Order: sequence, then structure tokens, then C-alpha cells
Amino acid sequence: MKLEAKIPEGKLEEKWRNYQVKSQLINPANKKKLKVIVVGSGLAGAGAAATLAELGYDVQCFCYQDSARRAHSVAAQGGINAAKNYQHDGDSVWRMFYDTLKGGDFRSREANTYRLAELSAPLIDHFVQQGVPFAREYGGTLVNRSFGGVQVQRTFYARGQTGQQLLLAAYSQLYKMVQAKKVEMLPRNEMLDLVVIDGKAKGIIVRDLVTGALKRYAADAVVLATGGYSRVFRLSTLAIGCNGSALWKAHKKGAFFGAPSFTQIHPTALPQSSEAQSKLTLMSESLRNDGRIWVPKKQEDSRKANDIPEEERDYYLERRYPSFGNLAPRDIASRAAKERIDAGYGVGRLKNAVYLDFKHAIEKFGLATIQDRYGNLFTMYKKITGIDAYNEPMQISPAAHFSMGGLWVDYELMTTIPGLYAVGECNFSDHGANRLGANSLLQASVDGYFILPNTINNYLAGVLKEAHPTTDHPEFEKAEAAVQAHIDRVLAVNGTQTVDHFHRELGKVMWQECAMSRNKAGLEKALAQISQIKAEFWKDVKVTGSDKELNTELEKALRLADFIELGLLMCTDALQREESCGAHFREEYQTEEGEAVRVDKEYSYVSAWEYDDGTFTLHKEELEFEFVQPTVRSYK
Amino acid sequence: MQVTFKIWRQDSPSVKGALKAYKVQDLTEDMSFLEALDHLNEQLVVQGEKVIAYEYDCREGICGQCGVFINGRAHGPHDHMTTCQLHMRSFKDGDTIVVEPWRAASFPVIKDLIVDRSAFDRIIEAGAFVSSKTGTAPEANAIPVPKGMADKAMDAAACIGCGACVASCKNSSAALFTSAKINHLNSLPQGKAEQHQRVAEMTYQMEQEGFGSCTFTGACEVECPEGISILNIAEMNARITKSKVFG
Amino acid sequence: MLRNKLYFRKLLIAGTGLFLCLFLVVHLSANLILVLPEEVARGLYNSYSTTLRESPLIKIVAYALYLAIVLHVIYAIVITIHNRRAKPQKYVMNRSNENSSWASQNMGILGTLILIFIVIHLANFWARIKLGIGEEVGLDTDGHVDVYEVTYSLFQNIYYVIFYTVLAIPLAYHLHHGFKSAFKSLGFYHKKGLRIVAKVALVYALIMGIGFGVIPLIVYFK
Repeated sequence: MKLEAKIPEGKLEEKWRNYQVKSQLINPANKKKLKVIVVGSGLAGAGAAATLAELGYDVQCFCYQDSARRAHSVAAQGGINAAKNYQHDGDSVWRMFYDTLKGGDFRSREANTYRLAELSAPLIDHFVQQGVPFAREYGGTLVNRSFGGVQVQRTFYARGQTGQQLLLAAYSQLYKMVQAKKVEMLPRNEMLDLVVIDGKAKGIIVRDLVTGALKRYAADAVVLATGGYSRVFRLSTLAIGCNGSALWKAHKKGAFFGAPSFTQIHPTALPQSSEAQSKLTLMSESLRNDGRIWVPKKQEDSRKANDIPEEERDYYLERRYPSFGNLAPRDIASRAAKERIDAGYGVGRLKNAVYLDFKHAIEKFGLATIQDRYGNLFTMYKKITGIDAYNEPMQISPAAHFSMGGLWVDYELMTTIPGLYAVGECNFSDHGANRLGANSLLQASVDGYFILPNTINNYLAGVLKEAHPTTDHPEFEKAEAAVQAHIDRVLAVNGTQTVDHFHRELGKVMWQECAMSRNKAGLEKALAQISQIKAEFWKDVKVTGSDKELNTELEKALRLADFIELGLLMCTDALQREESCGAHFREEYQTEEGEAVRVDKEYSYVSAWEYDDGTFTLHKEELEFEFVQPTVRSYK
Repeated sequence: MQVTFKIWRQDSPSVKGALKAYKVQDLTEDMSFLEALDHLNEQLVVQGEKVIAYEYDCREGICGQCGVFINGRAHGPHDHMTTCQLHMRSFKDGDTIVVEPWRAASFPVIKDLIVDRSAFDRIIEAGAFVSSKTGTAPEANAIPVPKGMADKAMDAAACIGCGACVASCKNSSAALFTSAKINHLNSLPQGKAEQHQRVAEMTYQMEQEGFGSCTFTGACEVECPEGISILNIAEMNARITKSKVFG
Repeated sequence: MLRNKLYFRKLLIAGTGLFLCLFLVVHLSANLILVLPEEVARGLYNSYSTTLRESPLIKIVAYALYLAIVLHVIYAIVITIHNRRAKPQKYVMNRSNENSSWASQNMGILGTLILIFIVIHLANFWARIKLGIGEEVGLDTDGHVDVYEVTYSLFQNIYYVIFYTVLAIPLAYHLHHGFKSAFKSLGFYHKKGLRIVAKVALVYALIMGIGFGVIPLIVYFK
């Protein structure tokens, strides 16, 4: 199968316009007759569901949480980028496009990335109009700050709660359409399978998480907006419920998985403190604007941070990357931290952290300014660690964060299954091998609000004349029976180990071998270990309670079963890509100074994996760089 | 460390619940409260018992899902904190910790510690939005919003919808939740066009959901993880009056 | 109107409450006469009360007062019933004292005590003087109804003195929370203003509590 990215003709600046001019339209009377299912209610899902409903489609939106407002977009702290050039510092759509492409180490499509930058400006307009209380200057205009990997100030923010404020705007807009009876919202319903009829996505099977009942929903198109899957590492910055199951089920039904191993490890999370830990809390990257990262120059230095004199501190990011310093992109900052920690310079009780110090910033700008900028982050830090970061440096550590990988989508955000779309973090589209800070909220929103509502019509216009799918179709029958059999199988094992036990095992392997730095031997070992975990899971897992009731343990088990298989694919992908690019760092491909070596000649493509009964077949979408020349990504 | 949890167990909304005691060992002070419950649940699984149902998602204090009543306080002994931010270092070795679900007629128990907070969604649905469709927005800097105004809106907008205000209020009043949303949108120029209707519809929905009335005990603002001020409720009252006069 | 019953009920409670607060100021200032030496106090107190009884304006105010008390009580009951329905199941463990004042949690109990007080207070004075129930009230040397004598004799009874003095305590607590809260119910949300209101409420409640509580003692020991 040849991967057709459907990139429109014309100059980079004209592609999106050209696409819209040529795509098919549907008249309002007909839109009412078309049903669209949206799975997930984060920024991408809620934005898409609300906008599709405004356009007149009949929308159903599902989420596993108790309300759409809980989706994990809520946790993004730092901000959202937009090429507004409000700061008059030389920003432009082109520069933002280039920063994003370069930040992603030239492993994404030019056309997609350009569109992301192009639609960023109207997105800010949209959110302001929806009542998002972005930070303002005294004169009333919007404030910007800078974020890792760029040299301009283009990040808009609402205190340390940007994600929350954007999500609440999307959630409000969604519930406005619920009130208008244009969207049916189904919280506490988790998608467990995709239904494909005659090669097209036509519905889903969900489990009602309160009653446990399996239910069928038919639609003319299905949109997945289910977020990232970094919980495969168990310890991550993600919400505990975040999972890859919807993606995995779609993958098993024929959707190709793009660059599954591209996972961003965030440099500024709180370090792990015990084995029982369930989550690593993220401290916004914006802290790196004013905070300076360092470790002691002496190995195993046991002095308190404040007792270590200035000349005995190693500001390693400033030392290695003088022009970007503490604002080096995330993958680089994370790897540099890992390098120092592995070399024995780590700090904290478990020697697994580095310092993030605000002493100089407080001296320079005053305590009040720092409090105004980061007050809530410092408060949060104190709540969790009991440490006052105004007086001593924070301890931070890298943690699994964002999945650049996801279902492979074309320019229209459609997967390889016609009628199945993937928006937001769950697709592989704009970020390449590494995502720039504050581009995540942007991509989720742009996908949901602006792109999908303008591309889905191109497909739906074609199915308008077809019969609408109904839930009594044999494919629904079959899918539901398969889901029930899968659940029964999990419950039937009745072994001796908990779901969390297996998740910890999987997480350890993934973190060890498939995170910040990877190598051939390690990945091969990981594949064997994960297969072993999989076998043991199906032999020895224990889930109590039944499937016909609210059963959180069963939910976890079903998600983990998919994570284990996804882990295999991630390692397969990481093993196959013999180069270092962005977040994907293969130890075999580095310079003497430890910088990544990209191999454009052989690997300038997007890996799209096809599932075939437990094995994975690689398809390549060659990346053509018509408008920019891939360069060595240097932040020195 | 070792503690005894006394946890509310209730299989479904229709049956009666009761507190059940569980002794849990091998806990550490670094564990979060929810991790201690996770630990207990793993033990229950191994013993072949049904796990305790409780809610959580982000575990970093922002999603608002993890609300439970711990030792007589919403989200535990500290002010302005979510359950997921509570750590075992706040308890002593050998403590007994009573854990109950939110109590309010409008938040019926679904199972064990999980309650149904969809009443909040319906209050939002009634008017907590700006009726502008995607694609219709003017340029973002076209309407200046002075910093003070934006900051005030942000203070109110910070609500995470956890329900601690209702849970800790002796009257189960949702006034803090509703007023925070109203004041967020009504104080911004973008929300002005629909201000009176918003106040009228949201407060009406709040009543329809069966929440009690605010008697200004002030418990809500102490338990609110975001420290949303009770003055929001007073401001909402002023806005109701305004909407009656001008609406 | 019906669409905001929670708001209107509270508005009513707050409005009537503040009106009653104002009344108490007048009441206490009159009571201060009782503290004066008997020869001055009797004449002044009796002529004052006669003026009140005979003024048509005061008559209107008096009816407003009855109405305020009745509405305040009825709506307090209505709100309490509604609020109890909103929380049908109580917590097994509730440490509300850590997040709010005891008075604010128990306005109903405090109010009930005050209501009991009012009933007995009215029986002691209003019933005797206006309705003529019980022992007949004499006239003083100026020909005024000798209300002073009624008061004086009542407060020679130690049980009444204790009753009046002790019940001034719930009154103070009730007034302290009620006064502050009323402003917010009425929609006053100025931050600094409310800080002043809170201070005024404290001073007011203290003056009322001490004033009403101490005067019977002074009269008793006179």
C-alpha cells in the first residue's frame, strides 16, 4: 500500500487555501443527516465536536472521565505558541514553521507544519473571544514569553494554567452545543473497539464504565482525539487514565501507526521518590525562562544546594549550548540531564535529579516578579515536596511526557482507514521527532477547531449517498462479541499478580531501553522482555469484581493489555530507525561530543507501521523538503 | 508507616453503605494519599476482594476529579489542596484515616467514594460560554483588557470543578462554583453581551439541581484547592440584582 | 422572581436582619437609661416609652418590626429545611470547625435561642404593658405607665437576670455572623469595604452582647 499524504499543490503559503478551495462542500440540510463520533474530549476532541456541531453535523462525543473538563489538556501549564509577532521581535509564520520543523529534527511534513504555524494566529483570536483570561500588559494587550527551542517571544499564557483555561473554553463551547441539542455528550464511556464496514470506519463499541454494559454506536465518520500514550512508561507526566487503547484498537483494525517510538522526555518534572509512585508531576518548562539548571562540579556531592559556592556549580546547559542555554529544546535538555545524572553528578535523596535555581532571577527581578510569574508553580512544588523553592533550588528530573508518534494521518488528518480521523496528540503529524514547548496545545486546538472541520466534509460528501450504518450490522455484532471475549479472557486468568505489578514491569523496561537513549542490544532485549511480560500477564494477572459493574481494576487491565502490545511496536520502531533524530537518540549514532547524528540519506521518512496479527510491517512515507533544506540541528 | 483506613463502601446508589476498616502496612511518608489507596487496592486484589472505587486522573491537582472527604475535611487536613497533592507525611504512624465520598443530594454516590458531579456540567451548559462560533473571532488585541481585569477574571476562572465547595458546605451550596464561572466571563468584555442572561440561566440551573443556599460560612473558600474567594458569591448576588434591573 | 428563590430568600433574611440590627441599636440606647440613677432613670424611661407608644410613626415602625421578625423566622425555617434536604446524609466525621466559625455553622440554633428569648421577653413586657395580661402596671408620678417598675422588678429575680444575660451570648454570635453575611447576601463585594464591615460587625456584636447582657446585672445590683 502506498501512503498518500494528499499534500495540496502550490507554494507553501498557498497550500491550505488551495486545499480549501478544492475540497467538497456539503449543504447545511445534508450535514444534519451526517453523524460524527468524536472519541475524547480534550482540546482536540472538544474543539472538533463543538465546531462540527456548529457546522450542523450530528455529533456524539465520548470520554472516559466523569466530565469533559477533566481531559488531560487541562494539565498543560506553560502556554500556547502563535505567530502573532506582537512583541515586534522578528517573528513570522515562516519563522515559526521553521522553528517547529527544525525542532522536530526534520521528520515532519513541511505542508503540515506550515499550516500549524499559519493557523496559530487566528486560534489566539478564537480563544480570546471565548473568554480565555490570557496574561495582559497594563495597557490591555496580550503578553508573550519565550519557550524552549526558540529565540522569539511567541508564547501566550494564562498564569501556569494555560491548558486548563483553553480546555475550559473548549469544554464550555462543547456544552453550549450540548445545550443546543447538537452534541450528545457521553462521559464515563470508554471506546473498546472500532467498527469497520466495507473498509470504512462506521462506528465504535464502548463500555459504559458505570454499568459495565457494552454499547454500539454507529456513525458516518469516527474521529479519535484520545491523546498521548506515554503511560506506557507507567511513570510519566500524564494522567493515570491516559491510555493508548483507542489508538491500538484502530491500529489493529488497519490504521497505520506513525513513528510510535518518538516520545518526548520532559526535562523539568519532579524526580521519582519511591517505587510506589504513580506519576511524575511536571513543572512547567516556562520555569527555564528564569531558572538556571546546574549540578555540583564534584561527583556525589552531599552538601546542601545553598552550601555549594558559585564556582563549584556546573551550569551544564549554559556551558554546552551557549546561545540557547537553559532554553535548549526539551530532548536536548533531558539528555544533558541524564548524562550528568548517569555520570554521578545527580542530586537529591536518590541522586536522580538536577537543580533548577531561581536565586539569580530573584536577585535580578525581585521576589514579587518571580511570584507573579510562577507563584502557583512554586506553591505546587511546595505542596508535593514540602520544599520552599524561593529559598533553595528545585530538584527536577526528566520524565516521559509527549507522544510525537501516533496514528499516521494524511494532510486531511485521516488515517489509513477511510472515515477514521485522528486529531491532537494521538496522531503523528506536525512535530516530527521532537515537539517544541507550547506547540502541543496549539496542535490539538488547530486540529480540532480549524483543520478537521474543513477536511472531514471532503470525505463525508462522498458517503452522503451511501446508506447510513446501523448498529445491527454483522460487523457491530462481531466487534462487540470480540470485545466481550477479550474482557472474559482477562477476567478468566485469575492469577496472582496485580495489573499494577505488570505495569511497573513494563514501565521499567520501556524507561530503561526505549526512552532518552536507545541502542540495538537494549531494544532487542526489551522486545524479549516485553514478550515475556505479555505472556505472564495473560497467565498470571488477577482482576477482581465483574465486568457488569463499575470496576476500575478491569479498566486498568484492559488498558495495560494494549500498552504491552504497543510497547512491542515502540521498541520495534526504535530498533529499526538506525539514526538519532530529535527525541529518538540511538547511542550508536552520536558525535564524539555526544550530539545526535541524523542519517538523512536513509531515514528521511515517516515510519508507518501496519499491524498483521502480532507482527508489524513497515511502510515509508518519504519526506520531501521542497522549501527548506534540512540542516544539522545545532543549539550551540 | 502503618495506618488504618476507614473507608466508605457502597456497592451502588441504591444500597446502603458503611465504613469499613482496613489496616495498611508498608507505607512511606513520600507516598501520596492516593498511592496509599492504590497500595491498599493491590492488597485487596491479591486477597481476591473487590477494589475500592475512587476517582483521580491527573494527580497533579488540576483535573479536579479526585475529591473525597478525609478525616472530616474536603481533600484532607490542609487548606487549598486537592486529594492527589496530599502526602502521607501529613499523617502519623498508626493514625486512623476516615475516608468518605462527597455528601450532597446533588452529588449522588455511584459507588464507594465515587459521586456523580454532572450537576456542575449542567450549570455550565446553562450559560457558561460566549456564543461565538469557531471562525468568527475578531483580532485578539482589538479589545484591550486591562491587566487588573484579566487577573481578576483569571482568579475566578481557576476553578477546577472538584466539588469541594459543595462537599464542605453544610448546605451543599454550589454558589462558589457558579459564581466563579459567572464572574470570570461577566468581567471580561467578551462575556458582556450575554452577561444578564448568563447570570439568570446559570443561577436558575443551580437551583434546579437542588443545591442549598449560601449562608457564608466560608468553608468553601478554605477548602477550595484554587483558593477562590467567597467574595465571588457576593459579587454574583450583585450581578443577579443587576440582571433583574437591567436584564 | 421565582427563578431565583435561593437569592430572594437570602435577600429577605439579610434585609430583615439588618433592619432588626438597626432596631437593636435603638433598643439598646433606650436601655442605657436603666443604668442611670433611679431618680433620673424612672422618669426618663417612662416618658420615653410613653412617647413611643403614642407616636403614629412608631406604630408603623412597630408593625414593620413584627413583620421583619416573622419573615426573618419563616424564611430562616424555609432555608434551613431546603438546605437540610440538599445534604440528606451527614459525614461520619466532619471537622467544620477547621474551615469555618462555629457561629456560621449554627445560625439556626442561635436563631432559635434568640426566638425563645424574644417570646419570653415579649411575655414579660409587651404582654403586660400592651395587652394587660398579668399583674396590672401602675403609673408613675408624672402619670406615665411605669414601665421602669416592670423592668426593675423583673430584674430583681435572679433567674430572669441569668436568662437575659446568658441569652445575650447567642445574640452576639448571631449578630456577628449575620451582620457580616447580610452585606454579602445583598451583593456588597468590595474587598476593603467588607473588611471594614467585618470589623464593624465584631464591634457591633460585642456592644450588643455586652450591652444587653450587662444591663440586667446592673439593674439587679443597683
